[in-house]
Amino acid sequence: MGPGASPRTPGVFTTRRSRAWHLCANWEMEMQKRDYDGPILEIDKLSISFFTRLREIPAVMDFSISVQPGEAVGLVGESGCGKSTVALGVMQDLGKNGAVVGGSIKFKGRDLGAMNQEELRAIRGSEIAMIYQEPMASLNPAMKIGKQLMEVPMIHQGINKKEAFERALQVVTDVKLPDPKRILNSFPHQLSGGQQQRIVIAMALMSEPALLILDEPTTALDVTVEAAIVELVKDLGRKYGTSMLFISHNLGLVLETCDRICVMYSGEAVERGSINAVFDEMRHPYTQALFRSIPLPGADKNSHPLVAIPGNFPLPHERPEGCNFGPRCDYFEEGRCDQGDLLMAAVPGDERHHTRCLKFDEIDWNAPIDVGEQKQKAEPGEVVLKINDLRKYYEVAANAIFGGGDTKVVKANETLTFEARESETLAIVGESGCGKSTFAKVLMGLETATGGEILLDGRNIEQLPIEARDAKTVGEIQMVFQNPFDTLNPSMTVGRQIIRALEIFGVGENEAARKARMLDLLDLVKLPRAFAERMPRQLSGGQKQRVGIARAFAGGARIVVADEPVSALDVSVQAAVTDLLMEIQREEKTTLLFISHDLSIVRYLSDRVMVMYLGHVVELGSTDQVFSPPYHPYTEALLSAVPIADTSVEKKHIVLEGDIPSAVNPPPGCPFQTRCRWKSEVPGGLCESQVPEARELAEGHQIKCHLSAEKLAEMEVVIKIAAE
Amino acid sequence: MEPLGTFEIIGRILYQFTSVWLALVILFAASIAFKRRLGLYGKLFDSPIGMIGFALVMFWIFTGVFGQMDLIVTHDSLTQISGMKNKVPGTALRGVGEDVYPWYLMGGDNLARDVFSRMVEGAWVVVQIAPLATLFAFMVGITLGLPAGYFGGRLDTGISFLANLILAFPVILLFYLLVTPEIVATGVPNFMATVLFIFPIVFTGVLINSRYHTQPGFRTPLMIGVLGVMFWIYLSMISTNGYLVNNEDFAIPALPKILDLFDVSGGILVVFVSVVFVNSPTVFRIVRGLAMDIKTRDYVAAAQTRGEGAWYIMLWEILPNARGPLIVDFCLRIGYTTILLGTLGFFGLGLPPESPDWGSTINEGRRLLSIYLHPALPPALALLSLVLGLNLLADGLREESLKD
Repeated sequence: MGPGASPRTPGVFTTRRSRAWHLCANWEMEMQKRDYDGPILEIDKLSISFFTRLREIPAVMDFSISVQPGEAVGLVGESGCGKSTVALGVMQDLGKNGAVVGGSIKFKGRDLGAMNQEELRAIRGSEIAMIYQEPMASLNPAMKIGKQLMEVPMIHQGINKKEAFERALQVVTDVKLPDPKRILNSFPHQLSGGQQQRIVIAMALMSEPALLILDEPTTALDVTVEAAIVELVKDLGRKYGTSMLFISHNLGLVLETCDRICVMYSGEAVERGSINAVFDEMRHPYTQALFRSIPLPGADKNSHPLVAIPGNFPLPHERPEGCNFGPRCDYFEEGRCDQGDLLMAAVPGDERHHTRCLKFDEIDWNAPIDVGEQKQKAEPGEVVLKINDLRKYYEVAANAIFGGGDTKVVKANETLTFEARESETLAIVGESGCGKSTFAKVLMGLETATGGEILLDGRNIEQLPIEARDAKTVGEIQMVFQNPFDTLNPSMTVGRQIIRALEIFGVGENEAARKARMLDLLDLVKLPRAFAERMPRQLSGGQKQRVGIARAFAGGARIVVADEPVSALDVSVQAAVTDLLMEIQREEKTTLLFISHDLSIVRYLSDRVMVMYLGHVVELGSTDQVFSPPYHPYTEALLSAVPIADTSVEKKHIVLEGDIPSAVNPPPGCPFQTRCRWKSEVPGGLCESQVPEARELAEGHQIKCHLSAEKLAEMEVVIKIAAE
Repeated sequence: MEPLGTFEIIGRILYQFTSVWLALVILFAASIAFKRRLGLYGKLFDSPIGMIGFALVMFWIFTGVFGQMDLIVTHDSLTQISGMKNKVPGTALRGVGEDVYPWYLMGGDNLARDVFSRMVEGAWVVVQIAPLATLFAFMVGITLGLPAGYFGGRLDTGISFLANLILAFPVILLFYLLVTPEIVATGVPNFMATVLFIFPIVFTGVLINSRYHTQPGFRTPLMIGVLGVMFWIYLSMISTNGYLVNNEDFAIPALPKILDLFDVSGGILVVFVSVVFVNSPTVFRIVRGLAMDIKTRDYVAAAQTRGEGAWYIMLWEILPNARGPLIVDFCLRIGYTTILLGTLGFFGLGLPPESPDWGSTINEGRRLLSIYLHPALPPALALLSLVLGLNLLADGLREESLKD
């Protein structure tokens, strides 16, 4: 049964009465929606190029894939590998510079390339719907949600307003939004990011498409919200029988949502097959390298260290001869891998598993990783930084223009108490709005604390703004920023920026000494010295992040706040930058405050973990304590929400309802009570009336929760490795 | 001698511009040959629109410069030759010596002066004033816009309010007020010049200090040198005959006459002041908006966390990264300034009455427009083509700066 025949579809016959003209085309379409039962999407040897004024840039080459009805296919690869271009190609929306230069895209047996604009318009949004990364950019900010949703069937099926409204109401209920009527009557900016993305999904489902293309639909969202959206997409896919093309760089997400997967590298599909085949019996070195470079919870850092992929992603016009992955491949064989065009070959024993590797049947895929020299981690030393009952409140004026009227107090940080030692990595985990950035600001001196104290080597610095700190103190606490494309001033050379930091920190007597030190710093972060003369735009994301690290260590930093330093980088680069940070830490005995929401990487590199929620530290303990029960209910949900790219891991399924409350308007009592699934286990409504005190569960393990010790003991392990 | 035919006139005009053509060809050949190495300027030569605009602009700049060097003009712009009053283009001169060019290529105006030479001389007035006045407006706008955007809050509210106040004031009325003799006598334009012209000095001072304050040994001599020269020029600019203001009621002494490098005639000063005054609020707004956008970037946060001063962040972290839109706006604004100069000339404000600037010549030609078309048309077309060129250039720059 095709999706068009779903019982809730408003009758085609009413349509005929109201808009006879529209009908002919739609009738045909409706018929096709029902009758076709081959693959929904067949892409055959597709090549797409973009044309700039200098040259033709091939973005996708020899790409084939087919999507069966009801099937979800994942498209995975690093940025620039061409996965989004494939999606745009399917939509036939390549802009004026792009063109399909070879192969075909067939949708339900009809060649999309041969259709005219009229026919394409009838298909887009109606039979193929697309969901983009940024929900706010996909919604018209000047139009009410209801009207935007109703437009879809009114344009494509010509149904009347009343029916369209009912359909909209139904779909909004389907995407599990509370109070659908109110939602329909609001503007996009009145909704949170997660709610907006649900609306975008609802809009895509309005016309019950046969194919849904999701282009990184959750990248802009928080982990717990992401988990809920993924859950929703999976459910809806089952319910509506929609086929899906799921584009993502996150292998864990693809594992959770898709039936089949296609791995892309530098414009080509390198491996294609079912999830289990690719995840467990990969037959392409790139896929293998990709899996080795992401931290998996099932393995510890000694037996399964991260292995970064050497080298850089080739630019589209600088691709090597032969295998694109050749120069970075461990199994590269000269004279063989660097010649001619490689074709996809079927893996014997599995006819739907293909790989683009000449040597796949020669490589020993189960060989253990060459671990190399293992460096012992330095033991944590003296306490360097002590935070005592730190509070940071902001006053928000009710009237922004004249500043009068009532003021509201936003409690961004509430009673933070912890300490950090020399050469220790303390991870600060939490979602947006949890107060981790505010804490970083107070520590750096960009803001001063409202209460409590920050002791650096026993000196109070919480009331010292950065202007009042001496160069040494400023140099000792430095920061590595999240966005590599934003972290360097685009109009200054790399060397100049590092030298400027040295000048400010008073390092070196003269220009020559500073220059020498700058070159040393480039060595430290393993960048060639020639990079000193380069402009930031000539560097890749990973290289920029290395420069950012070099700049942070310019003043001999002892405490480095790393604000999600690798989350914006590609998977293969993440491992290298993470390793670099840890290596520098070992050498310089730095205290690393590692802010992140990615629990896999936190588990991999940190000694202790601090979980924050709405300004409160809800759990603090050593990595093992935090990652095993008893958990704080929020930690439990967070662990469950992290997508893990390992088929042998069994995860307990906890989906949090709703969104993170706003810090301007926090719930009374425990900050997490609005989303907590354990709330009913606490007698007397204590959660709603009283903020829980921090209590010590074990040596160095503290938790802020009303749950009794017995209940906490009942908690089960969230991430379980099935095989062992 | 015989009057010239149409083709002969065109031919001779083109011939008069030989030096300009030569300069243009050399400039374009060199630029296109090295365009890959010239950054944004080089990219301009990838866009036909930008090239046309740049050619038009450079044509008038070369015309202004070479006209001043006596390479193009055929007659003195103020000399009247008897019998040439309102004569049509190509009319031959009578009873003049061997060394005088024997025709009025574009005819004579109502005072029997050569229209062609006056048009060429007019280009020099524009080339002299427009870019410099625009640059001053940018200095003022940037110096005020950066802190307003970066700090925000009360400061922003205050400066923005002032800017809105100026923007709301009718421009022409302001000009009339500024040139009224009674107002000139009170010294208001001089005071305004004193205030507005100090901004480039403040700007440069802050620029140098914020960059080199960590190396006082290098900074102090540099500051003294640069600011000293600038301050001298500044004083020369605002003082006339040893006084800032000198009228019956009071006199404010300034730089002694011996030290005064040059005198800016009162009229030009007024024009300069008015142009800067009305342009700077718009520049202020653009800079403020850009600063508000760029201050959220991580590299600004990085500068803050290493304890940089606010002015360093504004001038070295924010301003260079706002240059794209500012360069485009600079080109457009020179165009507006050119039109503004034309308007001022047209109303006879500021510039001396016999000045060959385009606005004045258009106004003179306008009076006899129904009988004689030729005196008004050349300056009007000149003005049009220069502004068009600047707009096209700005378009080209915008287009190219957005690519790759």
